[in-house]
Amino acid sequence: MMVGAQARRFVPTTALDEALAWAIALLLSFSLVMVYSASIASAEADPTMHNRYFFLIRHAVFMTIGLGLAYVVFHIPVKFWEEKAGWVFLVALVLLFAVLVPGIGRVVNGSRRWISLIVFNVQPSEIMKFAMVLFSARYVVKNVAKLDSIKEGFFPIFGVMLVVAFLLLMEPDFGALMVVASIAMGLLFLGGINMRIFTGLAIFGVVAVVLLIVLSPYRMKRVLGFMDPWDDPYGKGYQLSHSLIAIGRGEWFGVGLGASVEKLFYLPEAHTDFIMAVIAEEFGFVGICLVIGVYAWIVRRAFRIADQAKDLERYFPALVAQGIGIWLGIQTFFNIGVNMGILPTKGLTLPLMSFGGSALIMNLAAMAVLLRVDWENRRVMRGYKV
Amino acid sequence: MRAVPLNNRRLNPGPAPSMGPGRVRFVLLILGGLFLVLILRAMYMQLVQQDFLVGQGDARFRRTLTMEANRGVITDRNGEPLAISTPVQSIWASPAGMPPVPPEKVAALAKLLELPPSELAAKFADKRREFVYLKRQISPQLAERVAALGIPGVAGQQEFRRYYPAGESFAHIIGFTGVDGKGQEGLELAREKMLAGKNGSRVVLRDRRGHIVEDLAAIERPRNGQTLVLAMDQRIQYIAYRELKNAVELNKAKAGAVVVLDAKSGEVLALANYPSFNPNNREGTTPEMLRNRAVIDLFEPGSTMKPLSIAVALEEGKARVNTVLDTHTYKIGPATIRDVSPQPSLDITGIIKKSSNVGASKLALMVAPQDFWDYYDSLGFGRNPGSGFPGEAAGRLRNWKSWRPIEQATMSFGYGVSVSLLQMARAYTIFANDGVLLPLSLYKTNAPMPGKRVLSQKTADEMKSVLVANSEPGGGAVGGRIIGYSIGGKSGTARKLEGRTYVANKHRALFMGFAPGKNPKLIVTVMIDEPSAGKYYGGAVAAPVFSAVAGGALRVLNVQPDEPTNNTLLPESTPVPADF
Repeated sequence: MMVGAQARRFVPTTALDEALAWAIALLLSFSLVMVYSASIASAEADPTMHNRYFFLIRHAVFMTIGLGLAYVVFHIPVKFWEEKAGWVFLVALVLLFAVLVPGIGRVVNGSRRWISLIVFNVQPSEIMKFAMVLFSARYVVKNVAKLDSIKEGFFPIFGVMLVVAFLLLMEPDFGALMVVASIAMGLLFLGGINMRIFTGLAIFGVVAVVLLIVLSPYRMKRVLGFMDPWDDPYGKGYQLSHSLIAIGRGEWFGVGLGASVEKLFYLPEAHTDFIMAVIAEEFGFVGICLVIGVYAWIVRRAFRIADQAKDLERYFPALVAQGIGIWLGIQTFFNIGVNMGILPTKGLTLPLMSFGGSALIMNLAAMAVLLRVDWENRRVMRGYKV
Repeated sequence: MRAVPLNNRRLNPGPAPSMGPGRVRFVLLILGGLFLVLILRAMYMQLVQQDFLVGQGDARFRRTLTMEANRGVITDRNGEPLAISTPVQSIWASPAGMPPVPPEKVAALAKLLELPPSELAAKFADKRREFVYLKRQISPQLAERVAALGIPGVAGQQEFRRYYPAGESFAHIIGFTGVDGKGQEGLELAREKMLAGKNGSRVVLRDRRGHIVEDLAAIERPRNGQTLVLAMDQRIQYIAYRELKNAVELNKAKAGAVVVLDAKSGEVLALANYPSFNPNNREGTTPEMLRNRAVIDLFEPGSTMKPLSIAVALEEGKARVNTVLDTHTYKIGPATIRDVSPQPSLDITGIIKKSSNVGASKLALMVAPQDFWDYYDSLGFGRNPGSGFPGEAAGRLRNWKSWRPIEQATMSFGYGVSVSLLQMARAYTIFANDGVLLPLSLYKTNAPMPGKRVLSQKTADEMKSVLVANSEPGGGAVGGRIIGYSIGGKSGTARKLEGRTYVANKHRALFMGFAPGKNPKLIVTVMIDEPSAGKYYGGAVAAPVFSAVAGGALRVLNVQPDEPTNNTLLPESTPVPADF
């Protein structure tokens, strides 16, 4: 019976995915604690800051801005993103261009990644990650019939990806490129692109990555430093060797909150890209498992939301949810992998955890979209309009 | 009835994307696999490889700091400090973890430390080094000014520097420590263990800027060195050094030494050498200046041996104090024994007063060689004097079995046997202490240590009287007389052996004696090496030193004058009427 079939179907009792919201809240609160813990010494000792709360306050401000943005985003129907995906992508692309223009883009540590907006700096590559999720999902949904054709289904998005890749490499921001490429490829794959085309694309991607590394002395140096940090622990391998020491010192249960030694000026970027090393040192293997577990759970949740959306024939929202899941999963893996020395240093933050304005704000926006997709799913399941 | 979804219309109606469950599962599998890789990697690092990583971490943050023990103070018998440790700071840097130092701070630091700025900059630039001394042992005040510059990675380390308030007068006996704070010479070396104490240690975790974050193990507190109380009296030492220095310079001598013993306890009250050095600043010090001649130099004691050799003949009953001997020049085999001022006959007192080689040798030859050897041996000749001073000389006393008569004869007047000045002083304790030979002590003793009887009370008293008589007019020791006190003593002038021959123009002027004569409190022995300003007799060169040192010491010790009325000094060159 129709009714019986309907009854067996999962109908959520709440309007919002509260579990997901709590998981995000959990990461955010832990993020406040850990950014403070990891930055306290360097903030206090820095003669220009001289304030142990310097990074904590800024992090809290960014988080508040991010949450405000997330609140706004949550109230935007997914349909809006579907309609405006192209425009969002265009804006991101323009910003990526803009950052390369001297005078607009700011160079930090040899990379031109930031656009200064007086109060804080915008990182266009973070916006591009968000835009790529929308754009890829929209592309798949729009071109679903052509996904079997190389010429009509594959080349257009491949061309767009090459442009994005070129712009990101000009900064350079290899890490963002890896995330953006993973999102695009993942959504094409999930959207049903022809397996032969996908295999060819994957092979191309691997070859391109290898060539990019071999042809760039700067990336080559990073890769070599990562291969054996103990070969030159005071030079090329300095940061990684200290990250590894921090993680190793954690052992089972860690040295305890606040007791990390590596964050005492030994490990650079302890509160940004290498915050996981500090977490590992202070909370040990158990702490790492819990944190990774929460990320894995959120990724799984994103895919479950996507499944529900697909079941409701809401294909664009489903792909968006999957794209956000891939984004979160891949970037988490890359960041922690760099911390653990299984990937070369990239300059990627740990989503929802690291200090860093643009990244945190865009991560929160993405989470808001995910919650929105779910919220709409629930509405649809209950028979309301989105 | 359930609400049926009304609005699930897609934006682009048409074929739906496949989004097959197989592909979703594949993507999830990849993502899950990546997370699993992270967990496995964390497991490997934290639960398998952690010893290596923790070890690497310890190598970077863990430091064992030494907490220097305060080296023990050396004082004289009255508690006057002779060697003390003052706190100083050594400035070091950790270039490996230092942020770049602004040039003006380098310049300021260089100025404070009196180093060329380029040298400092070079040290800072060597980023591979975790620890480098910038300057050692600067004053705490200067170290504070360095700290005030506030250069991260530059820090001070507390150390101690040895300071010797008594300077050169005590330099030989106390010695000195090296820059590492360990004893290198003298008692600083000999009593290293007692003085050094035990350094403490502290295992700490340091942040990259050198601040101590926490203690990793119980702090092991340093155990400070013990105080070493010498037998010596700074006042007497000072007098001895001053008088010795004057005499050496006045007589244009090469060197000299003085030993002052407490006649009743064997404690060394003073032991001075010249030339000396400044232990607080040893720049320009030559090995010659470092020699503690009184303890490590050996010489032939010449006539100062006669009272000792004559005593054994009395002790053995071979002669009595009033026995008169024929003292004409005579021959033993091919060798002729002769005196400087030949007399036809002399009694024991006369032999001492005239310093008769003939008389002394004749008396010695009355004693069997083995007994003679036993006696010298019991006086400590050829044996380590047991003061505990590093490198003290034992001297040489050949086995009696290989003696020829001429050798026993020459040994009686101090040739063919080599001794140190300290050994001679000790041997003379038998005259001052009723025939009992006392052990030496460089350290203050609470109770006199048991001595060893070498002579009977009677012989000792007789020899004491003979030596006192020797200081009276007509004797050889008049030059040693002290206003207000009687003395006993014997001078000597030993020719120096160069190669295998005695040279006529190089001498040692010697004087060994005790004071006051009747109830000796002190034994003073003096040696002046190669006086070359004309006078070279012991009675003329060494005896005045005895007089000044013994006299000064007796007054310092508040010894009651035993001859307050007979207080004239007789210049040794004045011809003395026989009936005076």
